[in-house]
Amino acid sequence: MTTLRKRTALLLLGASFGLASLLAHAQQTRADLARNLPSSNLSGHDVQATRTSLLGAPGFAHARVVSNPAAPDATPVGEGMCISCHQLEADHFTHTLHALGLHAANKADASVPVCETCHGAGSAHSQSPQTRGLIIGFTKDSGTPIDVQTRTCLSCHEGGPRDHWTGSVHQRNDLSCSDCHNPMANFSSEGLMAKASINDTCAQCHKDIRVQFNRRSHMPLPEGQMSCADCHNPHGSVTSPLLKTNTVNETCYQCHAEKRGPFLFEHAPVRENCLNCHSPHGSNQNTLLVAPIPFLCQQCHTGQRHPNDLHTSQSLATGSNPDERIMGRGCLTCHANIHGSNAPSGPRFHE
Amino acid sequence: MHTQRRSTLLCTLPLALALATVLNAQADSGIGVDTWRANKLDPSAGAQGRMTDEFGTSWLIGGQRRSPTGNLYMCPAQPPQLDHFGDWIGYGVLEAGAVGTSGDDRNALWNRYADWDSGLILGLLDYTWQRPDDGSYANVRASRISEDDQYYQAVFGRAGAFKIQAFIRDQPNLVSSNAKPIWNGVGSDQLTLPTALTPGGSTVADVAAVSAATPERTLSVKRSKQGIGFDLNLPMRWSVYANLADEQRKGARPYGGPFFFNYPFPNNGGVLETTKPIDDHTLAINLGVRHVATQWRMDFSYSGSFYRDRYTRYTYQTPFALWAVVPGSASAPLTTGQMAMEPDNDYHNIKAAFTYKLPLNGELSLTASAGRMSQDDRLIAPIDCNGVFGIGLGGNLNPGPANPFLFRCSDWNTPAALSRRTADMRIDTSLLDARISLQPLDGISVRGGLRFNRDDYRNGYLAYNPLTGDYGYIAENGSQGSIVPGEVGLFNPVTAPSNITRVRSLPLDLQTIDANLGADWKLDNKNTLGATFAFNRYEPTHRERRRIDDNSLKLTWVNRSLDWLTLRANYTWKKSNGDPYEFDPYEFTYSIDLPGYVPPAGGTPSHTVEAMRKYDMSSRDGHKIDVMATIMPREDMTLSASLRGDWNSYDAPIGRQDYQTSSATLQWDWQPRDGTNLSAYAAWDRSHLRLSNVQDQQAGAGVDPRLGGPNYALIGQWWLRDSQRDVYAGATLDHRIGRVRIDANWNYTRARGMDRYNYAGPTALAYPALAPGAGPGGGAFPAMTYRVDSISVGVTIPLADRFALRVFDYYERGRVSDWHYSGFDTARVIDHRVYTDGGPTRYNANLVGVMLRVAL
Repeated sequence: MTTLRKRTALLLLGASFGLASLLAHAQQTRADLARNLPSSNLSGHDVQATRTSLLGAPGFAHARVVSNPAAPDATPVGEGMCISCHQLEADHFTHTLHALGLHAANKADASVPVCETCHGAGSAHSQSPQTRGLIIGFTKDSGTPIDVQTRTCLSCHEGGPRDHWTGSVHQRNDLSCSDCHNPMANFSSEGLMAKASINDTCAQCHKDIRVQFNRRSHMPLPEGQMSCADCHNPHGSVTSPLLKTNTVNETCYQCHAEKRGPFLFEHAPVRENCLNCHSPHGSNQNTLLVAPIPFLCQQCHTGQRHPNDLHTSQSLATGSNPDERIMGRGCLTCHANIHGSNAPSGPRFHE
Repeated sequence: MHTQRRSTLLCTLPLALALATVLNAQADSGIGVDTWRANKLDPSAGAQGRMTDEFGTSWLIGGQRRSPTGNLYMCPAQPPQLDHFGDWIGYGVLEAGAVGTSGDDRNALWNRYADWDSGLILGLLDYTWQRPDDGSYANVRASRISEDDQYYQAVFGRAGAFKIQAFIRDQPNLVSSNAKPIWNGVGSDQLTLPTALTPGGSTVADVAAVSAATPERTLSVKRSKQGIGFDLNLPMRWSVYANLADEQRKGARPYGGPFFFNYPFPNNGGVLETTKPIDDHTLAINLGVRHVATQWRMDFSYSGSFYRDRYTRYTYQTPFALWAVVPGSASAPLTTGQMAMEPDNDYHNIKAAFTYKLPLNGELSLTASAGRMSQDDRLIAPIDCNGVFGIGLGGNLNPGPANPFLFRCSDWNTPAALSRRTADMRIDTSLLDARISLQPLDGISVRGGLRFNRDDYRNGYLAYNPLTGDYGYIAENGSQGSIVPGEVGLFNPVTAPSNITRVRSLPLDLQTIDANLGADWKLDNKNTLGATFAFNRYEPTHRERRRIDDNSLKLTWVNRSLDWLTLRANYTWKKSNGDPYEFDPYEFTYSIDLPGYVPPAGGTPSHTVEAMRKYDMSSRDGHKIDVMATIMPREDMTLSASLRGDWNSYDAPIGRQDYQTSSATLQWDWQPRDGTNLSAYAAWDRSHLRLSNVQDQQAGAGVDPRLGGPNYALIGQWWLRDSQRDVYAGATLDHRIGRVRIDANWNYTRARGMDRYNYAGPTALAYPALAPGAGPGGGAFPAMTYRVDSISVGVTIPLADRFALRVFDYYERGRVSDWHYSGFDTARVIDHRVYTDGGPTRYNANLVGVMLRVAL
């Protein structure tokens, strides 16, 4: 079977003996390899290829060469020109969804750019490849300002989940799309992430949050059963913690719909905010609780009789006075329906 | 089973299916869950297993480039080997083999979200088809660890045009591996005692013997979910999407079961840790239309969620007899308790968002949203009993005027005893959000936002029995009133006019207004300064405060002046206060508020202490810092460090007084060459929570709510400090020697929680007689600890062009100590307390696997 990689290598062999030697002798230095790259075609003529009759991909059919403020006079050179130097990048890129759509659109309408859709017109860069900024780059050393990078991505990806990017905490902290995404290859199974998963990508900056998921009780994020993006929209939302819904509770109800109620008898802090009692990223207590029971409850409950006693280890099963208010589930052994009760006899969440 | 609700669902399902067929959707970063499907065998869903390209990323430069922040990108995987099917190309991987577990492989912590099942497994099937001519593609991905831990998904689409996605997923959630439920019928809505026990008539010894003889078993809840999703790009830059998912949960988990206190009444009451059946499903729908034009963006969406529980309640039998504390009286025999399940509920939300591009590089965005949460579940009867409940004076269990503390079950064990038959509860929500951003000068942007949110409760519930004229409820399955006369939970203006009990539901209407104003100033391409002032007005009803104002000022600095450093620093000042704190706003929900209420002879007892400040309602001062540094000491190396702190001080003589969290992390990544990655991290965090409470001194009859008064005397005050310290560390190696790949991973977590207390005097204690002296004192609980070490080592050996063999071993060791469960390893029945769950336990477990990887 002939793989695309092998076919690509054959193409290179035909175009340049030097490059073929490069492939055959990988031990050569990169400087050697670079010297053997084919000469550049700066005419841009291959952009004017004849329109084909193949059905184009509608979404990508609107792709246009993005404007690069740092090279306003640059002209498109076409993908072939880019590949003459960036063959290996193209090998990796060609299996991504971006490449699939752009190539299909380009086949249908040769005026649809491929590389230059995102990187801008390439002529200035081709003539002076060492000058930073002549091509729109998405890396630290590219010389392209962050806002130009994000604007470039948003020229196609504006709206929808990214509707509230402007003003979001990630935008205000000067993050670029390419801090989280790397569309040049399939590094993740989905989402063109910069790391192997959404969670690994978020952990680049939020390691302190990621390690909280290693605690005794946690949601199944380390196990790969969910991702940060199940609760948060990193592209911005109507909430400052980038929640995907209007409130904390509505976010939790997405998976815990049984807690939504409304119940016949409500527990005020529960309805107000799940985070009053739960630490969503992990806890050393059972069930993500912020503090051990009964002390979690005793932050608010000072009512007369049984709620306001100070327990010591003598109240444990191994102590002299075992007490149900602290053993096992503690308060919740009796006040089991603590999230709200639909029982007419449940105002204290006993039923 | 809720017939009415289920029929509603059946009506909804075809509608949703029809919509989903016409429209298109998938969960994305803006809507819904299900953004990721993987498992513990490979949380990356296949990405980590790919062999990296030996040639690296580029012919022009070696090594990897960095993201704008400075993190090293990964080395790309080898381009796939392609098969051709006419116009289509295909590539993929199949990884299958066998795994085996050993050691404590039934342990709940080991199996929490991973159902390891020794035997053959499908590690990964991932195959992609692409048609380059028109951008069409399809993908299937699947993994099966066991029957409870598996996923299958299929995607078909055309790049930039449409995408259709379907998935099936089973997720395990093992909550206990050492449960010893004494009941039959675990997982059902009827928990019955075994024949060796007599409901309402067993001795502690009988129950203890049954518990001891009950083999340990697992309790788990399995989530099974199916979903389809579509999205479709339309002409004129419109797009539509829809998705539909249905999730079933099935299993059982430890829960409660009260038959009144045991601690003040030895050989009496009943504190039963039962098992709650989980058998429900939720249908979730998201659909919407979006438009992106040069000047306008629009987004219209609908979200719906419909929860259905198989059961309305579950019942359980109590093994113990109750006895009345009044000498000579008799307690009615009670055998059955009940627990209401969560009601079936419906949720609808519609949202419209408009964004208009303004001059000066600006945007104006308006979002309006309206939602409804409602349920109208059939209500269960106040009690499940036959005959009588309560206390028969003089040993006489015949109800009548001479027996004021004895009640006929027939007056209460029927829905006719309720003021209405169904719950009919509803919350309407509304949201308006407006935000604007402008860039009046090059490098300077200003932004502002205004947000208005309301939750409106519709309807309320009055606990009134038209059969008897009583208000209130039956406390703890009738047990409380069968032990203590007059504490059944009822108020009657004629027969019990001084009883204080809950008679109304608590509507929690809420309104919030958020406003923020901020500016960012790009000094140059290297420095950005930002400031944001935010104001939040929180106006709850029927809470301790009618208004709480949160103010915050956040300062941001992003610095890239040094080529080897990206620094992000944020500081936030926070202050919260509000109108006067009312310590008892709930009076209207009690019989105190009903006509005919007569205060007891000593006066109406105070609900709580006046000095209490609930932490969600109290005034608060706070500071928060957040510093992140990405350091690039060499071309192939990155150091990432972060410091975070959040310090909150509450104005609360009683209640939460301080809550502080802080953390530090350091991560090192090294990619010395393509195909070799090393990384290591260390992290540390801690939290301190300080609270105070006060023991009442007048046996529940105190009328003076003042802290320092006779009831809440200062001698009864106590303080607790909960401290949590966590240390995390880990290292990863991914190295290729020739064509052989070696990967290793080590993770370490150590958590230690301490609870230290002080008290003003012995009367603060639950058991004052145990105090070592008459004055103030203090002490600590045993440390609550959790420590897990895990290490995995794997070797991938190519066998032929398309075949590779992976051999791996994963070992995990866990040590855990939770004082809540101290002593449960020896006995689960402690007087009239019956515990099912034995709590978390230590484990050593190992997983070894051999997988054949085939490039398809």
